[in-house]
Amino acid sequence: MGFDLAFALSSVPTILGAIGMTLSVALVSCIGAAAIGFLFDVVRRVGGFVGLTISFVIDFIRSTPLLAWLYFLYFVLPFYGIRLGSLTVGVMGLSLYYSGYLAEVFKAGIDAIPKGQSEAARALSLSRRDAVIYVIAPQMLRNIAAPLGNYFVSILKATPYLAVLAVPEMLGRAFDIASETYRYTEPLVVAGLIFLALALVISHGVKRLERRLLAVGAR
Amino acid sequence: MSQQSEPIVDIQGLNKWYGALHVLNDVDLTVASGACVVVCGPSGSGKSTLIRCVNGLGSYQKGTLRLAGTTLGVNARETAAARRQTGMVFQSFNLFPHLTVLSNCTLALQRVAGRSRAEAEHIAMSHLEKVRIPEKAKSYPGQLSGGQQQRVAIARALCLNPRLMLFDEPTSALDPEMIKEVLDVMVALARDGMTMICVTHEMGFAREVADQVVFMDGGCILDRAPARDFFGGSGHPRSRHFLNTVLKH
Ligand SMILES: Nc1ncnc2c1ncn2[C@@H]1O[C@H](COP(=O)(O)OP(=O)(O)OP(=O)(O)O)[C@@H](O)[C@H]1O
Ligand SMILES: [Mg+2]
Repeated sequence: MGFDLAFALSSVPTILGAIGMTLSVALVSCIGAAAIGFLFDVVRRVGGFVGLTISFVIDFIRSTPLLAWLYFLYFVLPFYGIRLGSLTVGVMGLSLYYSGYLAEVFKAGIDAIPKGQSEAARALSLSRRDAVIYVIAPQMLRNIAAPLGNYFVSILKATPYLAVLAVPEMLGRAFDIASETYRYTEPLVVAGLIFLALALVISHGVKRLERRLLAVGAR
Repeated sequence: MSQQSEPIVDIQGLNKWYGALHVLNDVDLTVASGACVVVCGPSGSGKSTLIRCVNGLGSYQKGTLRLAGTTLGVNARETAAARRQTGMVFQSFNLFPHLTVLSNCTLALQRVAGRSRAEAEHIAMSHLEKVRIPEKAKSYPGQLSGGQQQRVAIARALCLNPRLMLFDEPTSALDPEMIKEVLDVMVALARDGMTMICVTHEMGFAREVADQVVFMDGGCILDRAPARDFFGGSGHPRSRHFLNTVLKH
């Protein structure tokens, strides 16, 4: 059996109908992962026992499969009375899993700021808060913008994992069509192409952003 | 120079250790209002450490340091007020790369001195004119040469109207052809009556405007003399030796 273009096109609206779900899951998870990752890195900088514990947690998160996290949150937590919807579990799983990676992004982004920057801020008598807001944070954001964008693409590509929790994202929809019609090629190709298009557009945006940020800070 | 007024900096028996390393060893130094003091000495002798103590960027373990009449570290509010009377210029410029030249200068005016944006920009422009770089106000630091960046850094430090300027090897990171434009600004500043402590090995500058030259080695001030005597060949053998090596360059 060949590739039925008409059938492929007829599956597009259904699959594309889930693009909002895929994008919003990816976006919320990326924001969650960034928030947790940032917190991890800030706490890790405290050092001592707390810092070591956080370092261990980050390594632990990064060395366990995403699927294990999703199953754990979905099937194990209810035993302890915590019952969450599949969408919540999916977003939580993605956020936690990628927070370990984003903690490293924040670390690199902050460490790349020369020590002289905060010294200059102190020499100018800026308060610690103002130094963070006006001197450190903008430079950190500039440093992390590109890697953060790349991780957003990674998270986007990981959203199909949520199919195991029956979250209606794009690949799940494609699979639904496939199992109803017993035709796998067309819906999967369509879903794949939509992912490809999304990733290309976002990567292009990230590259442009990066170039603009580099131009401003040219040294 | 007014003899009766209190010195801006009065350091007595300052000591600092990094672990077992004795970086400042019983340092005494007073700087009168309007004076220009040049600090020199070999690498690792504690010059940076000393001037970083003066504006509170660095800490010390023993001794007293009075800045603009305030003993640092006794009262937090008074210490902050005294620190605000100092401006610092670093070897590596340390301009904020994400801000324009003008914003580099207005940031502290707005956030520390509480000036309005218009006031801050007016003040900043007057200092950028003083260091002869007003046309770059809208540029970013990365678009300037090293000499231009250092002049902006001087303007930025001057914006808060400090009574004391600290320079830590302001020309060491510069290509030779840019050193002069920065030194010219510093000379003009000294002639204008600004109180300055300059860590530098630019002996031409020292000869021209320094009231006092201080020679440090191993955390001690080994020699201090009015510039005339220092270059006249009197003084500690170590500082004479140092002078000979520096002047040969
Ligand atoms: N954070 C630090 N921890 C440990 N030792 C330090 C630290 N900072 C400086 N030192 C040591 O203190 C001594 C004095 O350093 P300092 O930077 O004041 O020297 P310097 O006279 O400014 O030298 P240079 O001409 O190289 O700038 C050096 O031996 C240096 O290695
Ligand atoms: Mg130094």
